[in-house]
Amino acid sequence: MPGRSAFALLGAGAAMLALVAVAFSVGRFPVAPGDLASLLWTQLTGGESGLDPTVQTVVLKIRGPRVVAALVIGAALAAAGAAYQNMFRNPLVSPDILGVSAGAAVGAVLGIFLSLNVILIQSFAFAFGLAAVGLVYVTANAVRGHDPLLVLVLAGVVVGSLLGACVALMKYLADPYNQLPAITFWLLGSIASASPTDVWSALPLMILGLLPMWLLRWRINLLSLDDEEARALGVETGRIRFTVIAAATLMTSAAVAISGVIGWIGLVIPHFARMLVGPDFSRLLPTSVLLGAGFLLGVDTLARTVARIEIPLGVLTAFVGTPLFLWQLATARRGWQ
Amino acid sequence: MKLEAKHLDFGYRGKRVGTDVSLALEAGEVLCLLGPNGSGKTTLFKTLLGLLPVQGGAILMDGADLAARKRDEVARKVSYVPQAHAAFFPYSVREVVLMGRTAHLGLFSSPSKHDREIADAAIERMRLAALADSVYTRVSGGERQLALIARALAQEASVVVMDEPTANLDFGNQVRVLRHVQDLARSGIGVLLSTHDPDQAFACADRVAMLHEGRLARIGTPEEVVTAESLKAIYGVDVEVALVPSADGVARRVCIPAVEPKRPVAGLH
Amino acid sequence: MKRRKLVLGGALAALLPGAVRGQNRREITDAAGRKAVLPAKIERIYAAGPPAGILVFAVAPDKLIGWTTPWREAEKPFIAQRYAELPALGRLTGRGNTANVEVVLAAKPDFLVDYGTVNDTYASLADRVQQQTGIPYVLLDGDFDRMAEAIRQMGRIAGEEKRAEALARYAQETVTDIARRVAKIPASQRPRVYYGRGPQGLNTGLAGSINVESIEQLGAVNVAAEMGKGGLVQVSIEQVLRWNPDVVITIDPNFYAAARSHPVWSSVPAIKAGRIHLSPSLPYGWIDFPPSINRLIGLRWLARILYPQAFPEDLRPIVRDFYTRCYHQTPTEAQLDQLLKTALAGI
Repeated sequence: MPGRSAFALLGAGAAMLALVAVAFSVGRFPVAPGDLASLLWTQLTGGESGLDPTVQTVVLKIRGPRVVAALVIGAALAAAGAAYQNMFRNPLVSPDILGVSAGAAVGAVLGIFLSLNVILIQSFAFAFGLAAVGLVYVTANAVRGHDPLLVLVLAGVVVGSLLGACVALMKYLADPYNQLPAITFWLLGSIASASPTDVWSALPLMILGLLPMWLLRWRINLLSLDDEEARALGVETGRIRFTVIAAATLMTSAAVAISGVIGWIGLVIPHFARMLVGPDFSRLLPTSVLLGAGFLLGVDTLARTVARIEIPLGVLTAFVGTPLFLWQLATARRGWQ
Repeated sequence: MKLEAKHLDFGYRGKRVGTDVSLALEAGEVLCLLGPNGSGKTTLFKTLLGLLPVQGGAILMDGADLAARKRDEVARKVSYVPQAHAAFFPYSVREVVLMGRTAHLGLFSSPSKHDREIADAAIERMRLAALADSVYTRVSGGERQLALIARALAQEASVVVMDEPTANLDFGNQVRVLRHVQDLARSGIGVLLSTHDPDQAFACADRVAMLHEGRLARIGTPEEVVTAESLKAIYGVDVEVALVPSADGVARRVCIPAVEPKRPVAGLH
Repeated sequence: MKRRKLVLGGALAALLPGAVRGQNRREITDAAGRKAVLPAKIERIYAAGPPAGILVFAVAPDKLIGWTTPWREAEKPFIAQRYAELPALGRLTGRGNTANVEVVLAAKPDFLVDYGTVNDTYASLADRVQQQTGIPYVLLDGDFDRMAEAIRQMGRIAGEEKRAEALARYAQETVTDIARRVAKIPASQRPRVYYGRGPQGLNTGLAGSINVESIEQLGAVNVAAEMGKGGLVQVSIEQVLRWNPDVVITIDPNFYAAARSHPVWSSVPAIKAGRIHLSPSLPYGWIDFPPSINRLIGLRWLARILYPQAFPEDLRPIVRDFYTRCYHQTPTEAQLDQLLKTALAGI
């Protein structure tokens, strides 16, 4: 098992590097491969490339942040999905189950509705995403005497649908000429406008979220047991669950604030990772992170090159992810039973 | 090592299931808890394990109160073998047994080589080595139960609490589990197991506690406790307890329930 | 004697119930070919959408019974107070209806009017509303090229032929004058324009979309037109860099404010050179939405921006004149300063 999973990890890592190279070289603005190589080389070595400043801008300030954003967001969504699937003992769970995307949507749509600037829109999205999950958690805790996971899921469904109704209301009241298109585009998901600022502000949040997950990787394995069993084995399940939810929400909220709602990654990627390396979270987490990062990078590269217009990411991940998921379901032998 | 329940009241929030239960378990002893469905055996176990709050009385380990202890402290002293169940993710048997080491790990630690050695030793002892790398969800019910016992062994606690470990097992596996129970006791571990088959009490218990409607009806040796009267009292059926000589010369007690024989009755009136 | 009888007769007629007044009805055909029967005398008009609201207000301000959305504080100073305080009745256009039909009925309009795209969808929606309410629903074609005709039609229906004629002539003259002068400009001097919408400036209109009509009317090149015909789409900054427009136009103040200091947008040569322009939006936008006669002033403004040599005239009197005609109130000097500050920034 260790040999196989090490191989899988290496394979995933190599594939990702290849994808990064491809992502840097394709795009609407023509950049010669030689220019690209020399530019990246001088970046690393700290020299002057002497290239047309527009080319520099395209590679370093447009494609660069976009690539990093795709990697980081894909990694965050996949990691959160893997953790939640373990925690909820259900491989059909995605990071949205506790309402973080619905909350972020409310925040962003509110920002657009109030005609705020982009930074505020993103901050609103982030804050509302956290608040939504906080509300779900508090609601679930207030209801006692039942299976804690079931209550969490139900609270998530209820709060999520309430937030969805808020978004629907704002879409209804929004100016159909100016605000509604902006709202629609945001909800479909895109990192077309990822700037270096976005990346620098999201990166620490992602790390802050991934770190506890990595540190608690062994105990997260035990979350997949029955709650009483896990506690009898010495795990403070309530606290671990809280930490996992907080970490996953931090990462997902930061991701959604930048990119809008992108589905399917948190659901499908952990499956593939589990097929490759098994359920042990200490292998599952890094594999999910790599696969998620690579997948979103691949999809985003497609989104900006396949058609003349930008295809929304949320749409493309569904188009790519659904057949993959169905294929995996059909051919799974080990699977999760 | 001595695990004691002193005048224990237990139950769920808002519902009292049992009152004034006092029992003690010594090292190397097998205490069997007998009682019908709904008598509170599982609730009592969960309370002893610290999974449910104590509603009255105390639980002491070597004189020290267990109730307020942290989870991993309690887990290092008392381990739990639930009934074998389906799991959700395809962990291997070895990984499942390794989970038993968690109580000895730091919050951010993963199992070390030493932990893996202990887990492997437990697997050996339960004779599961051939299945160590198999997926837990794919092995048979009996093998899963043995794996869970191995997990409790890896936990290195001095008391093992088993909740109806032979339920859902076939005859052969039931016998195997009971043998392992005795083996555990012989190695100095205190075993508390619940069952509703009185014969198992005779087969492996040093002492038997009978739980009836939340109270400890009797506690003592199997011969003292498991009698036709006591069985009738708690199960409401007629049972004969017979002494049967066996091949090795040691007489054993068995319970023979009075079930009507299926024979046509000649002449009805 | 005769006059007194006339006055008495008129008063009686006004007092008589609708059934009797119904004898004074006329049939009109709207832009979708639908027939509607309207009262001879129109007093109350309900504008079903923002573009219709602007048109009705320009042609028959005292007959407008309400707006679709309430006027914001910043917008109110540009029209007379009594108009700004007309009730907000909601939209009934089929493109996101917010009007409560009962509220519309309670307002007792003589007819409902919408001014915009005329196709089967909107025609059938109009039929449904007409059936549901019993009030005639008239559709007018919002196409830029047919603006003068639409104004005249509105005037005929609303009984404001004189005012409508003046306005229609003004619209016609504006469009013809601009077209004549633009025709003299060789193709090589026509600038390439990127129109960026939304707070991030990444929404734009494809060829023929209603959002970029003003730009295309002026013969300028919409850089997004190469992607085909259609409506609004999302693009990336990289795409804009490749297009390398000469001029960037926007209606979003957030994007305008952020673009000049944004790490990537500021490297677009047009923005670096300061050729990014924000359209004023009080009380209605000068370009894009709502697609109504408010865009006439946008044509003048864009002409000035895109072809400064061919259109050197001072905008101030033009803006003053337009606002007076369209919004029935001459803007104060301070208001003109406010508008022109935005409009002429960077010129």
